[in-house]
Amino acid sequence: MNNEQNKKVEDILSSLDGVQKAVAPDFFYTRLKARMEKGFEPVGSKSWVLRPVYAMAALVVIIVINAAVIFNGQNNTTEDTVADTDTFQSVAAEYALNDNSANLYDLNQDK
Amino acid sequence: MIQVRFLSGLHLKDSASLSLFIYKQHVFVSYSVKNQTFQLLNEIELIQGLRNGDESAFKYLVDNYKDRVFNTTIGIVQNAEDAEDVAQEVFIQVYRSIHSFKGESKLSTWLYRIATTRSLDLLRSRKSKKRFGFIQRLFGDGNEPLYEIPDFNHPGVAMDRKENAAKLFKAINQLPENQKTAFTLHKLEDLSYQEVSEVMQTSIAAVESLMHRAKQNLRKMLEKESG
Repeated sequence: MNNEQNKKVEDILSSLDGVQKAVAPDFFYTRLKARMEKGFEPVGSKSWVLRPVYAMAALVVIIVINAAVIFNGQNNTTEDTVADTDTFQSVAAEYALNDNSANLYDLNQDK
Repeated sequence: MIQVRFLSGLHLKDSASLSLFIYKQHVFVSYSVKNQTFQLLNEIELIQGLRNGDESAFKYLVDNYKDRVFNTTIGIVQNAEDAEDVAQEVFIQVYRSIHSFKGESKLSTWLYRIATTRSLDLLRSRKSKKRFGFIQRLFGDGNEPLYEIPDFNHPGVAMDRKENAAKLFKAINQLPENQKTAFTLHKLEDLSYQEVSEVMQTSIAAVESLMHRAKQNLRKMLEKESG
């Protein structure tokens, strides 16, 4: 870095030397009392529901619940299909409904 | 035991009068100038008054500490309106939590601590608003600024240094929180390393280290910008 740049940086760094202190604006106490009487609300505070972090959290929860429901649903569907087949086969076996029983009412069938 | 403290540096002129009165073992000194009466309270009396919910004690506190608190908050949040809001919050917090103040530190130290914490809270809130700006616009009223901070001009900086000071404040804003706090309290509020260490509840050596690193980081940022 050359001398000119170095001097520039030094000037910036020393720009706060001897700075005067800022003073509170006029009627500070009056405004403070008015705020206290009105009911204190911190700067930037809004309903917590509307805060981005909660909105994001709610969004994530909704997505997770949806995903869980979808995956659970798919698993249950496979199990249900298997269960249904088992039930059907056991009922068929119990009532002796073999493949031929499908033709029970086929009048053209040879006896 | 009743203790009377004599105040040095109080010059009474022809229109002024000094009076003493005793209330609940405390000696109150008041002076009147041009029909206006001012009370000079020591810290214990002031805290006691605040704990009793005495409005005049609260006004005394605000009148005596508002400039120090405001100068601290404006140094950190770098915006006059926000600094006033935060300074108001500091006094509201003091008013509400004075019963939890144990008196282990000076009242001014406690005020500085609240002021820096509140100011840093606001900066975090700004950052998160910026980060989640798109959601803010979806859920908010849509009129809120996204806190793109313009160049800050500190009211106490001399006219010929304003441009450089604005660059320095921009760099200060990028410092880590603890370095920013130490630098602001020392440079702007003119607190000694000892006082800064009390506010930040750390050692003097740690403050020295923070200041050293803050200066190094500022130099790097400014060199990068000007290079």
